[in-house]
Amino acid sequence: MLAKRLITILPDLTMEEAMEITKIHSIAGELKRDGLIMNRPFRMPHHSVPINTIIGGGKIPKPGEISLAHNGVLFLDELAEYGRSTLEALREPLEEKEITINRLNGNYRFPCNFMLIASTNPCPCGYLGDEEKECKCTEQEIHKYLKKISGPLLDRIDIQIEVKRPKYEKIMSKNKNETSLDIRKRVNNARNIQVERYKKFGIYSNAQLNSRLMAQFCILDKRGEMLLEQAFIKLKLSVRAHERILKVARTIADLDGEKCINYKHIAEAIQYRSLDKFI
Amino acid sequence: MIIEYYDELYPKLLRSIDNPPTRLFVMGNPNILSETGIAVIGSRNNTQYGERMCKRFVKDLVDYNINIISGLAFGIDKIAHITALENLGKTIAVLPSGLNNIYPKQHNELAQKIIEHGGAIVSEYEENVKASSKSFLERNRIVAGLAIGTLVVEAGHRSGTSVTARLTTEQGKTTFCIPSSLENPKGITTNKLIQNGSKLVTKIDDILNSYPNIKFEKIHKKEQIENIPEELEDVYNVIEDIPQDINKIARKCGLSISEVSYKLMLLQLENLITELPGQRYIRNESGDYI
Ligand SMILES: [Zn+2]
Repeated sequence: MLAKRLITILPDLTMEEAMEITKIHSIAGELKRDGLIMNRPFRMPHHSVPINTIIGGGKIPKPGEISLAHNGVLFLDELAEYGRSTLEALREPLEEKEITINRLNGNYRFPCNFMLIASTNPCPCGYLGDEEKECKCTEQEIHKYLKKISGPLLDRIDIQIEVKRPKYEKIMSKNKNETSLDIRKRVNNARNIQVERYKKFGIYSNAQLNSRLMAQFCILDKRGEMLLEQAFIKLKLSVRAHERILKVARTIADLDGEKCINYKHIAEAIQYRSLDKFI
Repeated sequence: MIIEYYDELYPKLLRSIDNPPTRLFVMGNPNILSETGIAVIGSRNNTQYGERMCKRFVKDLVDYNINIISGLAFGIDKIAHITALENLGKTIAVLPSGLNNIYPKQHNELAQKIIEHGGAIVSEYEENVKASSKSFLERNRIVAGLAIGTLVVEAGHRSGTSVTARLTTEQGKTTFCIPSSLENPKGITTNKLIQNGSKLVTKIDDILNSYPNIKFEKIHKKEQIENIPEELEDVYNVIEDIPQDINKIARKCGLSISEVSYKLMLLQLENLITELPGQRYIRNESGDYI
């Protein structure tokens, strides 16, 4: 499964990160054996689990799924099925990278610096855009459905892409694609570039850039500048999408080993905003 | 303008049906009423399949210089008219109402575009007559009567489309039907027509070959778009009029998804292609209407 494969291409864990992960899992009573956890966690809470299990809570507060996914991946399958309150509750941790749980005897703070991956059908019946089966939804139904997951959460998602139902022949074919190991190498390279670039600023990745640092490090060439403007008018992108696009473009440039963001990187980053284009 | 039954401009094909209108009210180009045309009809609530098929066949018909005749209704009618315009073809809309009372009124603008692009709006009713259930049925004989044959794209149970199909046959012409899935409720009538002897068509040649006495010539329209930026040519060239998904495009060009992605975005911004659900892309026709 695509989401699960993602952890195989994430940058290597640092010792510090491994310690954090191990600590949280230990507090949660989820440590299966002694010693450090050396893999990035992959958590996939079902949409039927209570909000406390996902966010964290309880009489003696325990870390939730978002903290168990710290330094790893939190995967929400069928995003539209999760409760409205759960989705709302994800906003703060996504922004702050930690969650505070208030109790009479004090506040508990758990880190939750996870990568969020979510999936959703394109429409209630699931067949919109499918080549083989006809979608039977009306335009209003589709709009209503996508609206449910849009709003504040969507703005906090960097990359939105449509993926097709895998075909059997494709699963079986041994087409030579880039292996996870190769990809991971490229990802590590890009991460190292970022660590190096930001070492004076107390951050280590593009995702952590604030607007002041973005002005310094996300400079576009003339054509990229024009392109971005054109895209905003034509695709009616939100203002908040602007920052996301710049950061993603910065990362694409890093993967390319390019010092400056050029128009190609910008165009590719805009292409990864599928949902914005349809809502 | 008004064309009387004995006028030179009164289309011969229409004159020869059992109960031709005594006069025609026409806006636009009256000459095209006598040119070769195919009636394209179908459901008001078409499926996406119906839309795709309608576009595919209408484009091909227009490319062979065949006019598209339909009824300006919602659904297949509208798609047929618009597709004809988008492909620089000519189209005729036959109204169930007077010319001052275009029905449905939501298609006023479409009617205007049809006229502007060398087509015609036709009615047998005085200018201010409103559409009625009787006029809907009467109109169908003119739709069939102006055409050398009728193409049924998609039609559900008890649809007016079957009336036009029957009239076509009664006028001694061929009804062509695009087959539908048995699960498609809008395919019931088309499949039934095929069962009862209408001609099943899978491609434009199936229609053209039914008229051995007419010589159809493919018109070569001037290259639609003169200046595709050079770096985008490879991707643009593999995108066709039928939607293609991003993986296929990448494979055909031998490019990575990342490269294809940036080129697709640039092509969209240049208004050369359109993205459809499912990361699929089609070319834009030169001069996008509506
Ligand atoms: Zn659907």
